[in-house]
Amino acid sequence: MPFWRGCSRRQGLKDAESMGAYIVKRLAALVVTALLTSVVVFLLVRSVPGDVVGQMLGQTSDPVAAKALREFFGLDQPVWQQYLGWLGRVITGDFGTSWTRGQPVLGMVGSALAVTVQLAFATLLLATLIGVPLGILAAIYEGRMLDRLIQCFNLLGLAAPVFWIGLMLLFGVSTGFDWSPPLMYVPPSEALGENLSIMALPVLSLALLQAAAYSQFVRQNIVSALGQDYVRTAIAKGLPVRSIFFTHLLRNIAIPLVTFMGLILIQILGGAVIIESLFALPGLGRLLLSSIETRDYPVLQAGLLVVVVIAMLVNLVVDLSYRIIDPRVQLS
Amino acid sequence: MSSSDIFGVMDRRTLLALGGFAAAAAIIGPAGATDLYGPKGSGAKSGGTLNMGLLVEPPGLDPFHQAADARIRLTVLIYQGLFYESPDGTAMPLLAEGFDLSSDRLVYTIRLRKGVKFHTGQPMTAKDVAYSYNYIRDAKNGSPGAGDFAMITAIEAVDDATVKITISAPNAALPMTLGNKYGGVVPAGYFDAADAKTKLNQASVGTGPFKLSEFKPNSNATLVRNPDYWEPGVPYLDRINFVFVPNAASLLVGLRNKRIDIATLSRPQDVKQVEGVAGLVIERKPSFNQKAIDLGAELKPLDDERVRRAIALAVDKDEIMRASIGGLGNTIGTMVAGMQESWGAPLDKLPNQKVDIAAAKKLLAEAGHPDGFELTLTSIIGYDWMDAAAVTLREQLAKIGIKLAIQRVELGVWVKNFQSKQMGFTFNDWATVPDPNLLFYRHFHKAPEGADFRNWKNDAASALLDEGRVESDPAKRREIYIRYQQAMAESVPTIMLFSADHVVVRADKVKNYDQHPTGWYYGLARAWIA
Repeated sequence: MPFWRGCSRRQGLKDAESMGAYIVKRLAALVVTALLTSVVVFLLVRSVPGDVVGQMLGQTSDPVAAKALREFFGLDQPVWQQYLGWLGRVITGDFGTSWTRGQPVLGMVGSALAVTVQLAFATLLLATLIGVPLGILAAIYEGRMLDRLIQCFNLLGLAAPVFWIGLMLLFGVSTGFDWSPPLMYVPPSEALGENLSIMALPVLSLALLQAAAYSQFVRQNIVSALGQDYVRTAIAKGLPVRSIFFTHLLRNIAIPLVTFMGLILIQILGGAVIIESLFALPGLGRLLLSSIETRDYPVLQAGLLVVVVIAMLVNLVVDLSYRIIDPRVQLS
Repeated sequence: MSSSDIFGVMDRRTLLALGGFAAAAAIIGPAGATDLYGPKGSGAKSGGTLNMGLLVEPPGLDPFHQAADARIRLTVLIYQGLFYESPDGTAMPLLAEGFDLSSDRLVYTIRLRKGVKFHTGQPMTAKDVAYSYNYIRDAKNGSPGAGDFAMITAIEAVDDATVKITISAPNAALPMTLGNKYGGVVPAGYFDAADAKTKLNQASVGTGPFKLSEFKPNSNATLVRNPDYWEPGVPYLDRINFVFVPNAASLLVGLRNKRIDIATLSRPQDVKQVEGVAGLVIERKPSFNQKAIDLGAELKPLDDERVRRAIALAVDKDEIMRASIGGLGNTIGTMVAGMQESWGAPLDKLPNQKVDIAAAKKLLAEAGHPDGFELTLTSIIGYDWMDAAAVTLREQLAKIGIKLAIQRVELGVWVKNFQSKQMGFTFNDWATVPDPNLLFYRHFHKAPEGADFRNWKNDAASALLDEGRVESDPAKRREIYIRYQQAMAESVPTIMLFSADHVVVRADKVKNYDQHPTGWYYGLARAWIA
């Protein structure tokens, strides 16, 4: 067996070991961060004036009834005791029951997350399919009419608020086609066609905005890369334009692009509350908002924790993908 | 006015003509099936699904522990009390069939309706009734309705079909209190299970015309027809989907495109958008709600009655109403619009109702504020009418030198301030069931009998509220509450501005929906789809 192949295998094993150690380290950090976050979230949600009992009893509350309900929810205990009790249950997988809706928190957050995940990934896919080619075209035709048109689209997308885009789409299809999406959400597993007709406009609303950001980002990166030595060298070598773009340019902007995608994903997964409210989607953003309004602490704590964990996981995946895109990247 | 309204008014007038509540009770007898929940209508078709769009989602569906009006609107279709709050102000027997009142007016012997079954299939008996009301009146069980039942000393089942309720002092409002706002009759022992409170959001155990099928937060609540319902032939609808649409624009688009069959709207700009749309019908109904300015006496200088009167004299209610709801309602004096005819003091007999800037300035000068003062108005985020009303009020009070700062707070914060009697100068938005005792007592009677949220501490007004609660003669009772309203208008713990109409938008295929003045959806028990 040649010497270099043995070296390579050893190197590969070493790499895999270091990658494994890296992931373990990051997951451990994730647990610690989640724990710290849970403390902050627990204190934050309780620092907002009013509680679930005030919300439930309304204007005509009875002090005895209020006391009884506070005891029922454990709100009469010191905050640290409430926290430890909650943490103890969470560690065993019991996130409790919603104080107002009376349903298991895990199920509620899971259902809402499923809607938001579908929204986020569909948006990411559509935004990438629209934004990246537009960015490349704008860079290729820099300074010409096509570039200016794409820049106009980018500016509009970056400046327009998402609710405006959503409303315009809603009114547009309603007026133009006498059609509007169903308002009662159905998961894709139950009726795929209806689900797609529900998700189409919200995904398009978010994707148009994100595509504009994408396009602008890709254009800037490519334009700046076009002035780099390696591109000049490739052109001087007489490489075909396609090869220069796909083999060299895109590969070099892949890392910032993946970072950008990660940010978009975190942004939408963290709660696209405006678009969820506009299209009556029962997603995570809306669940968090309604839980704040009703002071439903178990749902709020679990929901926020999920958002934090997702953000960290997406970051981890993005970091790991750097290594896949460019093996020279050292994970530490 | 519909024929059912005319009959309703006749019933009330007949009752008013009769002296003594005991006599009235005997007259009520069995429920008039034509009026309960609204008219049954002719040519009704059974079957079909109705989609109702709701801008405000109920925070839960537990009628025993959740006070939110958004909850009551739905659960009146699922749970039932002993009486129904007829729009004309009478308490019509619902799960009761009738009652006898003892000569000292302290013991109600209530005969129960026969053939009533719970959604679980088991028959309802007097034990269930006694259990349910005993549960709710025990404040230790944490019900917002506990305070309303404080005058009850005992509830016991006499036999399977009779319940005896004993109260500590005569109370003419008791039958109305045994209505549908809080609680309802559920199987005896239901709350023994540790998870009973939360389970009410997943499966219903009431006796109402509809059963809970599913409740998906931020999505929908679906009710299905109760096949064992005790009233023959109703309800007509097989299924009602309450779809939670938190955005008015989406709701309006849904109405136009027939995704939504019926909805209630409150903002004039929303109503305008569906006016003249083919296939949609818009109806306005008077309400029992009130939009008000509360003046908490704990905030100086609102502790000075002259200051409160000066503010009342500077407020142009009509201008505020037009600015905030575009005229889709009625300005009021000291009684909600839907009860003005029954219980309201004639507006010309109430002081401090007409704008009089000179008199207001004079009062302020007497109170030691000739140049006015700075005051902060609290309004609640999400209550659209308050935003326009706040700006208008600021202009109006500026005329007497009061510089108004506006602070918008979130509902939870506002409720906390209200409950702790630290409301200051604030807008309020609340509704009542049609009885003056239930409207005024808890809010305005001095503590500890009442909550006196506004720190009014008015002995004379409290004495009138006591008198009105005990009095059983309807005519005398009305006279007492008119005197009370005059005292309230004179001293100004609150300025009742207007009652907003319930604006119902429905597809023309939805028939026979009659919006109850409380805003609750009783009418769905009589609606049908053509």
